[in-house]
Amino acid sequence: MIKFILRRFVVMIPQLIILSVLIFALAKAMPGDALTGQLASNPKMDAQTLHELKQKLGLLDPPYKQYLHWAGGLLHGDMGMSVIHQVPVTQLLAGRMENTLILSLAILILSYMIAIPLGIVGGRWTDSWADKMVVGYNYLTFATPLFIFALIMLFIFGFVLNWFPTSGSVDIRVEDGTFSYYMSKLNHLILPALSGAIVNTTVTIQYLRNEIIDTKIKDFVKTARAKGVNESKVYTQHILRNSFLPIAAFLGYEIVYLIGGSVFLETIYGYPGIGQLFIASISQRDFSVVTALVMISGLATLIGTLLSDIILSAVDPRIRIE
Amino acid sequence: MKTEIANPNQQNIDSDKQKMKRPKGTGPLAIMWREIVKDKLALISLILLGLVLVIVYGASLLLDQEKIITVDLLSIYAPPSAEHILGTDYGGRDILGQLIIGAKNSFTIGLFVTLVAGIIGLSVGLIAGYFGGKTDNVIMRIIDFVLILPTLMLIIVFVTIIPKYNVYTFILIMSGFLWTGKARLIRSKTLAERELDYVNASKTLGTPDWKIMIREVLPNLSSIIIVNLTLNLAGNIGIESGLTYLGFGLPESTPSLGTLVSYASNPDVLQNKWWIWLPASLLILVLMLCINFIGQALKRAADARQRLG
Amino acid sequence: MSFLKVNNLKVYYPIRGGFFRRVVDHVKAVDDISFELKQGETYGLVGESGCGKTTTGRTIIGLNKSTSGEILFEGKDLTKLSRRDFHHHRQDIQMIFQDPYSSLNPRKRVLDIIAEPLRNFERLSPGEEKRKVEYYIEKVGLNPESIYKYPHEFSGGQRQRIGIARALTLNPKLIIADEPVSALDVSVQAQVLNFMQDIQKEFNLTYLFISHDLGIIQHMCDRIGIMYRGQFVEQGTSKEIYSNPQHIYTKRLISAIPDINPEKRVRQVELRQEINAEYKNSYEKYFNAEGKVYQLKQISDTHSVALP
Repeated sequence: MIKFILRRFVVMIPQLIILSVLIFALAKAMPGDALTGQLASNPKMDAQTLHELKQKLGLLDPPYKQYLHWAGGLLHGDMGMSVIHQVPVTQLLAGRMENTLILSLAILILSYMIAIPLGIVGGRWTDSWADKMVVGYNYLTFATPLFIFALIMLFIFGFVLNWFPTSGSVDIRVEDGTFSYYMSKLNHLILPALSGAIVNTTVTIQYLRNEIIDTKIKDFVKTARAKGVNESKVYTQHILRNSFLPIAAFLGYEIVYLIGGSVFLETIYGYPGIGQLFIASISQRDFSVVTALVMISGLATLIGTLLSDIILSAVDPRIRIE
Repeated sequence: MKTEIANPNQQNIDSDKQKMKRPKGTGPLAIMWREIVKDKLALISLILLGLVLVIVYGASLLLDQEKIITVDLLSIYAPPSAEHILGTDYGGRDILGQLIIGAKNSFTIGLFVTLVAGIIGLSVGLIAGYFGGKTDNVIMRIIDFVLILPTLMLIIVFVTIIPKYNVYTFILIMSGFLWTGKARLIRSKTLAERELDYVNASKTLGTPDWKIMIREVLPNLSSIIIVNLTLNLAGNIGIESGLTYLGFGLPESTPSLGTLVSYASNPDVLQNKWWIWLPASLLILVLMLCINFIGQALKRAADARQRLG
Repeated sequence: MSFLKVNNLKVYYPIRGGFFRRVVDHVKAVDDISFELKQGETYGLVGESGCGKTTTGRTIIGLNKSTSGEILFEGKDLTKLSRRDFHHHRQDIQMIFQDPYSSLNPRKRVLDIIAEPLRNFERLSPGEEKRKVEYYIEKVGLNPESIYKYPHEFSGGQRQRIGIARALTLNPKLIIADEPVSALDVSVQAQVLNFMQDIQKEFNLTYLFISHDLGIIQHMCDRIGIMYRGQFVEQGTSKEIYSNPQHIYTKRLISAIPDINPEKRVRQVELRQEINAEYKNSYEKYFNAEGKVYQLKQISDTHSVALP
């Protein structure tokens, strides 16, 4: 087991390096560099000073040196300056990151709250009308693109029914830290989180339903029934026990979805997280922010898959044998 | 599936040539067709999809594109009327016309992305699975790497920084990130297939590797490939219109369904002018649902255990 | 120059382990075997499953790579040939596979299955090709009209005949038959085996016949090699092996052949018990410390046994 985790880490290191090289290459291909911002605030800078500044910042070094400098900065948490906002990227990200984490967490919790009961109902009472509803629900949510669904939710519950706020993460009029502040945050969170969650339930429902259907005809379940274990205990103690851990393990893989989803959800609901920041930055050509966000997302995905792989291998030893 | 075991005597009895050629309905296409007809939802989806496509492609031939994209300041944000059945947008352009052109573009581009990504994924998967060993190892490392990339963000970055950006580069960028899933699937199926003796037999009969891959293994994967391509088509239309919605999809010269939906980022349009964005959203939904229902029926056809009949 | 001569053939598979997945050991599927085939004879390779007999056959035809050793076919070492040169020998060596269900591509018509080798080696017009396919399909006793059918429309025995027809089209000299009847019903087995003997005479074929069924081997083979854990235990003519087995392993195998005569049942049981006792008492005499057998030793012109 430890050997597997170690090997999994060793595989991750080259991935991380290639990812950073790729993103660095992309950053170089983007127009503008660390000086573009300063140049904008001080347009009268002459060619001589510009050259000197470039030399000082290492922008005239060979690419590999620049890369090492950049990667070294990343390790120290230095991601450069935002050209538009004139603040360090890290400072810009801090608050946004918090919002996106809250949203992602809410999506995860809600989607499990929806998916697990539906999956169990579908699996336990296969072919009943309830199961048919679950399957139908699954077809619908699988086919619906997130942005269309989010837009329609916003239109119905935000604009037509006026139940929820249509933009932002908190009412700016309430005071930070008060009870109404948190209530306002929650109120702003519900609609985007629900939209993200409903579209995100498909895989979990399908997995759980299939797993239960497959397991409930296995011999050990028959044995349990034959011993006289009552039906609901058969499910809670024999069937579901095996199905839950893998679901928890898929959490890491969900990160890819959550990052992609945050771009749409935050844009549609005007929710100030990293997804919205990404779209805003790329539209304003604030490329140092863009680079940082791509790198962070890649890192998050990498760690997510790592965690999932490790949990899954702990649950199912077959995965460890390659 | 019914298998008839023929013995020589029986063959002489029914000498009917037609019957000799092959019994009906055992090929993958015949099974798929039967499965769709059996599943009413899939059949309705197929008819609806066919109808939408005929209307969209037919009407786009008749429509005057120039006229549709010309700004008409006299009828800005006109609600639906006899002249403009679905009203007009901020430039006074007819929504119905844009809807038709957009649907055509969205579907065509979704199709092309599916095909290009399909061909890449298919070739890579076949090669990795068929040869196995080191080749497989290298390819799988690459696929594992592409899978951890934040795909959506990278597509957006590429779209922004590529110098000559047009429909073709857009298709290539999307395909470049979307082939991995299929490659993985085909690889695992090919790995299983190459253990079967008919592949070994072909090797001992002197058939070259490329021919074994294409002529022997590929036909046996056809049902899985068709299912996968169908489901991908729906997904790709969604991704394309989503990217266009965000403003990083098709260039403005090629409006897509996402272009119409993106007008809804203006809260006034979203709240008060439903005729601009809602029809396009619903059309995307209908397209994706239809294709998915067909895909699910095909999936059942490909897996004998799940067939309805 | 002999027809086929296998010298010190070894086929090892690496076992990887440890942190860096280095090769820590080998599975010795085939461990230093040598034997010879004369043209026109049937040579039987027998042994329990996993003893390396199938690997041997597959290595000769080039489906597996040998680790070391020589496979001399009409004087040419097949293991040293490049892929391109090996291609020319394909026509001379063909194979009949064990499973008639997986060895025929379900998506192809019988015509395309049998014509596959022809298309690789000969340029025939569609008409000539069809005539040739029909010729072979009739030779294996199937209706020539069945060439437009698909494999699933045939029974196991018929499928195996299709497999044989496919192997015959290139006029091979050597056919490696890997358990050709073990997937078939017993009632069909004899039919296919007799048919194989018929075409052997007609086309002057040499068989390398791989099987775990000693009854079938006795029926088919002129000479026999018995394998155990990748090595040869005993080799000799059919008569020598069946009437005068020397190694305890061979004796045990032969005593296990069922006899349909009920009167001999008691005698059969006694014989088995006897041999089992001998096996237990004199294990060291036949197997070394690793549980492997010793090198083959000649005890007559044709008969050799693995004894210390």
